[in-house]
Amino acid sequence: MRLPSLLRRTPFRLTLLFLALFVAAAGAILAYVYFASASEAQGRAQAEVEAERAALTAVYRTRGLDALNQALVERAIRAGPYLYVLKGSDGKIITANISDVPEGIDTGDWEPFRLTDTDADGRVRRRQSIGIDTRLAGGEHLFVGADIGDVEDYLARLTQALWGAMGLVILLGLAGGLYISRRVESAMAGLNRVVSAVQEGDLKVRAPIRHSGDELDELSQGLNLMLDRLEASMASIRHAGDAIAHDLRSPLTRMRAKLEVALIDAEAGQIDGVDALGVALDEADHLLKTFNTVLAIARLQSGGAPDPQRMDAAALAADMAELYEPAAEDKDIDFSAEIETGLMIEGNQPFLAQALANLIDNAIKYTPSGGAVKLRARRRSSGEIEYSVTDTGPGVPEEDRERVVQRFVRLDNSRTEPGSGLGLSLVTAVAEAHGGRVVLDEGPGAYEGYGPGLRVALVLPPATAST
Amino acid sequence: MRILVVEDDAEAATAMVRGLTEAGHEVTHAVDGAFGLLESQKGGYDVYVVDRMMPRLDGVGMVETVRKGGDQTPVLFLSALGEVEDRVTGLKAGADDYLVKPYAFAELIARVEALARRRETGGVQTVLKVGDLEMNLIARTVHRGTTEIDLQPREFQLLEFLMRHAGQSVTRTMLLEKVWEYHFDPQTNVIDVHISRLRSKIDKGFERAMLQTVRGAGYRLEA
Repeated sequence: MRLPSLLRRTPFRLTLLFLALFVAAAGAILAYVYFASASEAQGRAQAEVEAERAALTAVYRTRGLDALNQALVERAIRAGPYLYVLKGSDGKIITANISDVPEGIDTGDWEPFRLTDTDADGRVRRRQSIGIDTRLAGGEHLFVGADIGDVEDYLARLTQALWGAMGLVILLGLAGGLYISRRVESAMAGLNRVVSAVQEGDLKVRAPIRHSGDELDELSQGLNLMLDRLEASMASIRHAGDAIAHDLRSPLTRMRAKLEVALIDAEAGQIDGVDALGVALDEADHLLKTFNTVLAIARLQSGGAPDPQRMDAAALAADMAELYEPAAEDKDIDFSAEIETGLMIEGNQPFLAQALANLIDNAIKYTPSGGAVKLRARRRSSGEIEYSVTDTGPGVPEEDRERVVQRFVRLDNSRTEPGSGLGLSLVTAVAEAHGGRVVLDEGPGAYEGYGPGLRVALVLPPATAST
Repeated sequence: MRILVVEDDAEAATAMVRGLTEAGHEVTHAVDGAFGLLESQKGGYDVYVVDRMMPRLDGVGMVETVRKGGDQTPVLFLSALGEVEDRVTGLKAGADDYLVKPYAFAELIARVEALARRRETGGVQTVLKVGDLEMNLIARTVHRGTTEIDLQPREFQLLEFLMRHAGQSVTRTMLLEKVWEYHFDPQTNVIDVHISRLRSKIDKGFERAMLQTVRGAGYRLEA
């Protein structure tokens, strides 16, 4: 990992941010310690110098210049901590224990200055000092000062130590940031690989799960779940696309053939062309119907049920029973309806009617003559409203039940019947758009040699309390 | 009858004008809602056929304006690949019937004629008569000649609709919409089964069949 790219990594940037904050805080503490120490040391030195000055001026006042000079010489010999310069009224130095008297110190105010000193190794050093000048009664000047170089040395060492510590912190911080970055990076790399693979169209990849239970694992699990869904819906779209192409191809091919025959016949002056055109028109209508159903399913799936109204589910069931009963009877199928009263739902009546029509039509279509079809509308103990259509046809094997509700899926034994394979898909789409579901079950069992039959239930949520 | 076709698609309009003219109607074409509105104000039309999607003034806007002006001429609304909401909007705007494109000509003509007819037979009728078939709407009885015919409630409604549109073709979709009041695709020809039951009651044993099947269109009750 190169540094510029490293700088763009979130964990590393966070580390840098915290380091910067730490350095700023440490800098502030250092500055505080520095100035506090410096001013305290200076204050202490000033107090001591002040005391010494008071003692010396007392000597001068009581015993005169010579006694002061005597005292200074004695103190210089004792090598005390103070620095003295005694100047006569003519400005000449009488006594001093500093070899290099700084200029302009006779202002009567505190004056910082540099003391030139030679240390034990013979090296010349300039030490920070401070002092104050006193003009004596006889016009002489007494300067008393103190060497505060030790304080300065201490502060310098302190500063050095703090800078060192800060450097160490920065180094450790960078190393830590790098380490965390790399760790997160390696964890993210798995996710990134998955994301780029998906971008390139591979929906089979899955993010690694490390079972550490951390948030990255949660993210990976979420991502995998999302990919499962996406893969399934892509597969269903692809399947639907293939199926639409397949389903529309055969009627289109038939229509084309019929039109061609009609053209040839018309050119030959035969009147048969008109019939062919009529059949071609039927094929076109069939195609349009398929298109419309596909469109309706897509709209229901994306937008829910349009314009839902409070309606009586029982009345709808009764109307449907009345509408389909003669068709069933024509096929010698015993059609019965068992409808409870007062089943209020909120729904789109045309779509629900279409769904029920599809279920009843399927039942009549697949039930052999002599069989029975029963429509029920009832309130389940859960409060949900359930329409069910039970037939005594061949039924749908359990393993196929999930499949038959998909678009264009037609079981092998039903291919001879007319139909688009969209009927149950539309029912499912209608149910789901209303917040309900479709449940497929076995029918009443063998019935006069047929069976086991099929029971399809359309379960809908009841209407909320009347408004 | 005089029909105003308001349709911006030139090809569709040409076909429609031709189809309606061949069916014996006098047709005027307006290319959008604004022209349609101007033309409607000249008056004298029996039916307006109005497309939903048009530039300038669309079908909903035109029908609303027409209705606000107090013009109660029946309106047949046309729309591309139908959505339920479209039908609701169209009917709310004041249209009387609704047809989804693409449609069969037979369906268009049947609906246009039904709309115009509904207007002619205003006033409350208590007895409908078609040939020797007589329906008493108060007593809810039906006689053909001297024979009383016993009908189920829905069969009665079905026959009433056919009698009100006697001599006219009515399509299966129209019957489902007007008699059963449902808008969906019944998949199989359930309507045909109901018609054949009705036919067996009103025509069986009589010399002449009144309830005719119109090929490619639907049914027609002939006197």
